[in-house]
Amino acid sequence: MSDTLQQIKDAVITRQRAEIEGLVTRAIEEGVEPKSIIDHGLISAMDVIGQQFSDSEIFVPEMLVSALTMKLGLDTVKPLLKSEENEPKGTIIVGTVKGDIHDIGKNIVKMMLEGAGFKVVDLGVDLTVEKLIEQIEAIGPDILGLSALLTTSMPEMKRTVQELREKGLRKKVKVMVGGAPVSNSFSEEIGADGYGADAAEAVVLARQLIGV
Amino acid sequence: MKSTPYNLIMSALYKGKKGDRPPVGNPTSIVCHGLMDACGISFPEAHLNSQAMADLALAGHEILGFDTVMPEYSVDQEAAALGCEVDWGDRNTMPDTKYFPHEDFSDVEVPEDFLERPSIRVVLDALSILRRHVGGQAAIIGKVMGPWTLSYHMAGTQNFLLQIGMEEKDNIRKMLRQLMPATIASARAQFQAGADIVILADHATGNLVGPYHYEEYLLPVHKELTAAIEGPLILHVCGNCTDRLEMFADAGFDGYHFEWQVDAKVAVEKVGHRLCLVGNVNNAEVLYQGTPEDVYKQARYAIDAGVDIIGPECAIPLSTPMENLKAIVSAVHEGY
Repeated sequence: MSDTLQQIKDAVITRQRAEIEGLVTRAIEEGVEPKSIIDHGLISAMDVIGQQFSDSEIFVPEMLVSALTMKLGLDTVKPLLKSEENEPKGTIIVGTVKGDIHDIGKNIVKMMLEGAGFKVVDLGVDLTVEKLIEQIEAIGPDILGLSALLTTSMPEMKRTVQELREKGLRKKVKVMVGGAPVSNSFSEEIGADGYGADAAEAVVLARQLIGV
Repeated sequence: MKSTPYNLIMSALYKGKKGDRPPVGNPTSIVCHGLMDACGISFPEAHLNSQAMADLALAGHEILGFDTVMPEYSVDQEAAALGCEVDWGDRNTMPDTKYFPHEDFSDVEVPEDFLERPSIRVVLDALSILRRHVGGQAAIIGKVMGPWTLSYHMAGTQNFLLQIGMEEKDNIRKMLRQLMPATIASARAQFQAGADIVILADHATGNLVGPYHYEEYLLPVHKELTAAIEGPLILHVCGNCTDRLEMFADAGFDGYHFEWQVDAKVAVEKVGHRLCLVGNVNNAEVLYQGTPEDVYKQARYAIDAGVDIIGPECAIPLSTPMENLKAIVSAVHEGY
């Protein structure tokens, strides 16, 4: 790995937001492939961050700054990708269910999915089923990612999946769920396609669900 | 000691004599659709009208058999009084703050008429109504938000956490300090209005922020709060806080209300001699999705572990079945 690539990775891990754009520009000037900057610099740093988070070495405040640093790097390098490399791996709609305005987990998942090459449409928080259905029909995503932080809003997640079924949309879109109170057993009970415990798992799950 | 609901709770709070059975309490909301239907009072009325608020709290004691009454169901009362726009929700949704008036970390001032703002006044009046109805009979619990939670409301949660990640220490400390008077005023007024105990909820949640964040920013603030508020305080912090239990005791709280993710036996071993432990039946998988038998087993596990007051871990989902709440009460009525 080139020195600059290693420095890019380190900058994301150690949250050096001010350094990242300069480092990415330097790597490009040194002739490092844009795709390599993403895969071996930015994304591989987020794998390390994901592990540190799972091990409780860092928490959400640090993760947020690393994810922002990664995003700054991505924004710098993305315009240089060849068109076939820039082709999204799939389209994912994400949102926090009605009655819940917590969106940090969802925002981190969104940034990680974008880093992994998916096109992500973020419908925000307190998302009504009506709006969701309208957007699914308009966009035709491969996956719907639903988030809830409050145990008090979990029933809404269940209702959303039911509603998709009743509207005949359930077979057209894979549903993945996440959030602090959500579990594998809850995901199975409400008839979702999968559950991710954290942002890194959400990326693995999204790849599995559409086979990329 | 007579084993009345009030005596059982207050004795457990100070780790005193044990009565015939463990007490069952709800420091956070136990309102569900079944309880609303049973007493004919619904959300959002119960957030906005003191009589409705008190009557719904009483239903938890009279219909479900809890030893406590707790009339504050939202986490937004102080935020509303500090200028946040609050959507009070409906029968199916909890209230939420809509915009964050201090996203730029601009100065926050606690208004002079803070305690007379409608969202604070309604809770104080409900506590006084409860005092007249069940004072000395059931333990009356008030609830205030700590400066950490209020910072989420003022600046936005993600924004506040981002500032922590970027180590903008002065911003964080200033925001917390500015909000301390709101917590102190609210808690003191609740005691004066009739609360026996006040829950101080401050969401430095396990898995969200680290023990080192708590130690650096919030522990000094909590020490000052517990010194300034004289009545008994139970801290509520969500998530797996096994890594910071000792610090909660160091902060000077009388009790800690905790979630299922903290193993009851571990909690008792670490801080059972310093704090009254309250909890910790799981909401998501057991109270909401499980059977009365599942609930009973978890409640008995907590009793056997030595948890002092048994109850749900946090505010329960609104579609939690009533039978599951009653199963906690059945478990404590079997005695120790």
